[in-house]
Amino acid sequence: MFMRYVRIWWMLTVSSFMISLVSRFNAGVFFVGKFLRFLFFLIFLLTVFSRTETLAGYTVNQMVFFYLSFSLVDTIAQLFFREVYRFRSLIVSGDFDFALIKPMNPLLRVLVGGADPLDLGMLPLYIAAVIYTGGRLGDVSWVNVVFYFILLINGLIISTGFHILVLALGILATEVDHAIMIFRDVVSMGRIPMDVYHEPLRTTMTFVIPVGVMMTFPAKALMGLLSPWMVIFSIALGLLFFVLCLKAWHYALFQYSSASS
Amino acid sequence: MHTYLQIIKGTIEEYTTYRVSFILWRVRLVVQLLVVYFMWWAILAGHQELFGYTQGAMLTYVLFSSFVRPFVMGTRTQEVGELIRSGNLSNYLVRPMRFLGFCASRDIADKLLNVIFAVSEIIVLYVLLRPQLFIQTSAVVILLSFVALVMGMVLFFYFSLLISYLGFWTPDVWAPRFLSFVFAEFFTGALFPLDILSAPLYLVSQSLPFYYFIYFPLKVYLGQLSSMAMLQGFLIGIVWTAGLWALERIAWSRGLRAYTAEGK
Repeated sequence: MFMRYVRIWWMLTVSSFMISLVSRFNAGVFFVGKFLRFLFFLIFLLTVFSRTETLAGYTVNQMVFFYLSFSLVDTIAQLFFREVYRFRSLIVSGDFDFALIKPMNPLLRVLVGGADPLDLGMLPLYIAAVIYTGGRLGDVSWVNVVFYFILLINGLIISTGFHILVLALGILATEVDHAIMIFRDVVSMGRIPMDVYHEPLRTTMTFVIPVGVMMTFPAKALMGLLSPWMVIFSIALGLLFFVLCLKAWHYALFQYSSASS
Repeated sequence: MHTYLQIIKGTIEEYTTYRVSFILWRVRLVVQLLVVYFMWWAILAGHQELFGYTQGAMLTYVLFSSFVRPFVMGTRTQEVGELIRSGNLSNYLVRPMRFLGFCASRDIADKLLNVIFAVSEIIVLYVLLRPQLFIQTSAVVILLSFVALVMGMVLFFYFSLLISYLGFWTPDVWAPRFLSFVFAEFFTGALFPLDILSAPLYLVSQSLPFYYFIYFPLKVYLGQLSSMAMLQGFLIGIVWTAGLWALERIAWSRGLRAYTAEGK
């Protein structure tokens, strides 16, 4: 069963890549735009640090590492979940019926059915930058590196949950475009560590809307600023959030009325 | 005139028909504001002043930018590119109205809704957050800020239309717009006041039209520009507006010659 879904995902991904790369001009401009967006915030961050030594106790290197870890999780999520951005048209036209009648889980089709090759192009840059900046953070133990990777995966699980939640909202309220952008805006708070923000925002954004667990905790684990218990708690929170989002999806699926079909 | 009033009315009704979408649109704008606001509040903690801005001045800048941004950059002109690409522009060309007037009316409706809701949202946020705000008391400066705001609005209208007109020559209308969003996000001063940038980058920003969308009206309001800098800003802004207006006229007439109503 699992291999069958991997094969289906691969076929959908190849098709999606071919569609995205039909226009080289389009692909090139989008790629440049994504790179500039990354660069511009980095410039902003460095500008802030040109006038202050530390921010909430973090040095400029640490702050850049937080931003790179954010970019890594964010880009992988966008690479896999681009199809979510196109979900509304399926709902309002009733074409979601075609995903439902196929002998496969409809969630797979609408969640990962349209990977974005342009984000794939950005990944090597982020990975290289993470390795380079991570190497400049000082002594980092192998345990912390392992924690970093585990929490990155945990971050991706939480991000998957958020995208499923947006899909569920899409079915219930035929609204995806603003919902996904609200998610992007909220998650963008993770470009800097949650510790910088004032309470009660810090706790809310870390544990209630788990953006902190998703974006800040991996980098904190690598820096040795997170206890093993907190790592375990983060994984439990990530899994719980994911399960709740899946439940929301199943609820929404039962409410689907196939309007306009 | 009656036609354009009906277009404004119709656009407002269109917005309010999809209520969840409308509510989420407003929520999104508030979230956008809060993200920047909380970030600056956190950065400024422990600093009496940073980049020449007190906490009050910076938070005023951020809060008011959330009003200026949708007022200047709230637009429906991004739809024009898709109208051209799909061939649906033909439906509008045969109607007894000017297409530019149609676009302007849609934008007026968008801005009207934005202003009404943005003001109430800012009042609610002010009551909740109680930030130290800088209130401008000089009537002349307030008037000049309003003029700068209108200039930014007209400038953005033509800028956005020009990007959409690329649809006359290429079906790839979204990529250039995405690129313009990325530049606008940085060079309009929506995230931060542009004068915190290094001198060369600030100079670059001054030479771009984005400078006049958000940053310039807000700096005029805050009274942080000298008379000379203000005069220079208005003059360059007027040159940009006139230049983009002329470009828009040329692009529209040449674009119509290239338009084949493909897809219809």
